[in-house]
Amino acid sequence: MMSMKKSQWVGLAILFALLVFSLGGMAFSPYSISQQDLNAVMEPPSATHWLGTDHFGRSMFTRMAHAVGLSFALSLLCMFTSSLVGTAFGVWSVWGGKKVDVAMGIVVNILLALPGLVVVLLFAAIAPGSFLVLYLAISLVQWVEYYRVVRAVTQGVIQSPARQSSQMMGFGRWYQFKRHIWPAISPSVFTLAAFGGANAILTMASLGFVYVGIQPPLAELGLMTVELFPFYSEAPWLLAQPLLVIALMVFAFHLLAGKRA
Amino acid sequence: MSVLLKLTNVAVYVDDTCLLEPISLALKQGEPLTILGQTGSGKSLLAQAIMGLLPDGLTVSGEIETFGKVMTLEERQALWGREMVMLPQEPWHSLDPLMKGVDQVKEVYRFVRGNSPEKALAMAEEDLAQVGLAGNGHKRPDELSGGMAQRLAITAATAGGAHVILADEPTKGLDVSRRDGIVRLLQTRAKMGCLLTITHDVEVARQLGGLLLVMKEGRLVEKGEAASILDFPQDAYTQELIAAEPSAWSDITAPIRQANAKDLIVANELVLERGGRVLFDRLSFTIKQGEVVGIVGDSGCGKSSLGDALLGLLSISSGSIVRSDSTAKPFQWLKLYQDPPSAFSSSVSLGQLLDDLVALHRIDESRIPPLMAKLKLPAGILERNCLSVSGGELQRFAILRALLLDPVFLFADEPTSRLDPITAKEVTQLLVELATEANCAVLLVSHDPDLIQRTCHQVIAL
Repeated sequence: MMSMKKSQWVGLAILFALLVFSLGGMAFSPYSISQQDLNAVMEPPSATHWLGTDHFGRSMFTRMAHAVGLSFALSLLCMFTSSLVGTAFGVWSVWGGKKVDVAMGIVVNILLALPGLVVVLLFAAIAPGSFLVLYLAISLVQWVEYYRVVRAVTQGVIQSPARQSSQMMGFGRWYQFKRHIWPAISPSVFTLAAFGGANAILTMASLGFVYVGIQPPLAELGLMTVELFPFYSEAPWLLAQPLLVIALMVFAFHLLAGKRA
Repeated sequence: MSVLLKLTNVAVYVDDTCLLEPISLALKQGEPLTILGQTGSGKSLLAQAIMGLLPDGLTVSGEIETFGKVMTLEERQALWGREMVMLPQEPWHSLDPLMKGVDQVKEVYRFVRGNSPEKALAMAEEDLAQVGLAGNGHKRPDELSGGMAQRLAITAATAGGAHVILADEPTKGLDVSRRDGIVRLLQTRAKMGCLLTITHDVEVARQLGGLLLVMKEGRLVEKGEAASILDFPQDAYTQELIAAEPSAWSDITAPIRQANAKDLIVANELVLERGGRVLFDRLSFTIKQGEVVGIVGDSGCGKSSLGDALLGLLSISSGSIVRSDSTAKPFQWLKLYQDPPSAFSSSVSLGQLLDDLVALHRIDESRIPPLMAKLKLPAGILERNCLSVSGGELQRFAILRALLLDPVFLFADEPTSRLDPITAKEVTQLLVELATEANCAVLLVSHDPDLIQRTCHQVIAL
């Protein structure tokens, strides 16, 4: 669809490698995420535990694989939902006439008036540990960005002679969207989606870090960070793992977003 | 008469390709020199070479002699503003959009000529009064009409007192009446020094007089006194250029207008307001089937709005528009746009756009090749997208697309104003000919009364 730059391929490669690590870990690890071995706590990486064990003797490799998988699932779901909703509402707002636009404007301004993280925290506090609520809350915050960009770009396209001409020739709305609007908005939507993916991961990790996100004993990157935090001097390699992966995922998504934005 | 500017074998190259073949000319005081040719004929390159404004990557050979001496690029650039000036092609690109008009002229007097602020302002106001902008000095460029903005730009550019004036397409995009005003202004400026004008408009060349050079594809084809060349052109290309002027067209109004043609559109007491301004008041007219109707008027008088209203794209303030042909479907009322590239999606090839249309309306594909042949469209055009074909080809492609739908009414909104005269003539003729063949009524908008006169059965003057 689009020609990608070298840096974007690097970003995609990092994400793919992390995905392979996650799926492989979940499929082939002989341990489960909650299987404790108190005889072997905070072990450094070895042949039995490739990434060592945490303070309960749980396999870090297994837990990291699950945590990365969870982050991916959430970020992709949020990305998909918010871009779809944001794009659809953005186009509808321009196309649906003044009333729709005004109504959408009110909703969006209310959402924008609240800091994004606060909204998510609010939802997360109502139902702690629910993946579904986290997903809904993050998507609710993120679609606004897509809406605003898509609406601004679409306004120009709707007025353009090219679309007017297609309409006069009898082409339907789906065609006009496909040929005129989508080519104009798709680069922006893809860029926003890449940033949105990174933001979703960060938001989920932040919530985990303040204990309102995914609850123990599930493995989640933010939660693991805060759990392993007390042992930073005894076993720094353990704390480094979730932090490194968060940084890597965000970095890869930003690389994927490309330079123009 | 002293020679202010002399070129000896000046040529422009990119790498080893010659863009402008060696040319020699002399510009004398008080004698205007005009270069005539189509877009892409290398006219602008010559002006840029003289000024020393050529883009990187282009090299110039030969000698450019200014005021009697051969100068280097840096020496010529030092003359900018005071001795040598190039007038802007489109004023919008050269004026400061946020600065009052009078200040733009004042700054030249103040900083280029070194006058005191009060004196500079007085001189600027006097200059503006001379070009008929006395009451408009406080306006920003976007509040001025095209002709006024061009006069302002010329005043600002020449305020530095330059003797050598290079004007690159100074009348591009202006109405006929405004164009003549700019030409007269240029002539008064030229009396003090010398003037080199670059244009594709034969009429401008005729009015300026003096010496004339005709160029084609970077090559000089004819040179001599303007009056004699334009009246007795020797070269085939010059003849073609002159023949492409609407005033020189033979009457191409389609003869076969059936007297018993039915009414297509009846407009009664039409009133249209836009932005609080009444564009036209109580306009009534009838358009018959297969008739070519022209609308003339200066820019901003509502020509395009009238067409849009007939197509239902704009709502009218009062009056009525009755479309008598009840069998015609909505997609048989179509529009041709002024700027061809903006009327197509650049995301897919032209062939894909055509296929979309064929699939939507189940058009018989065997109709396409003969129509393409009539419109002189090469088959290869279908593999490219709208940004990589020429404006003329694209406008013909737009006609092709419209004709495939068997339109009953076609609103052509200045379809040739962005095209070269030769291409414009070709496109207009094809449009009128093919539309008449298909018994499709055409509403042709133009700011050139000659063009309308030659092509239309009925003229609506706004």
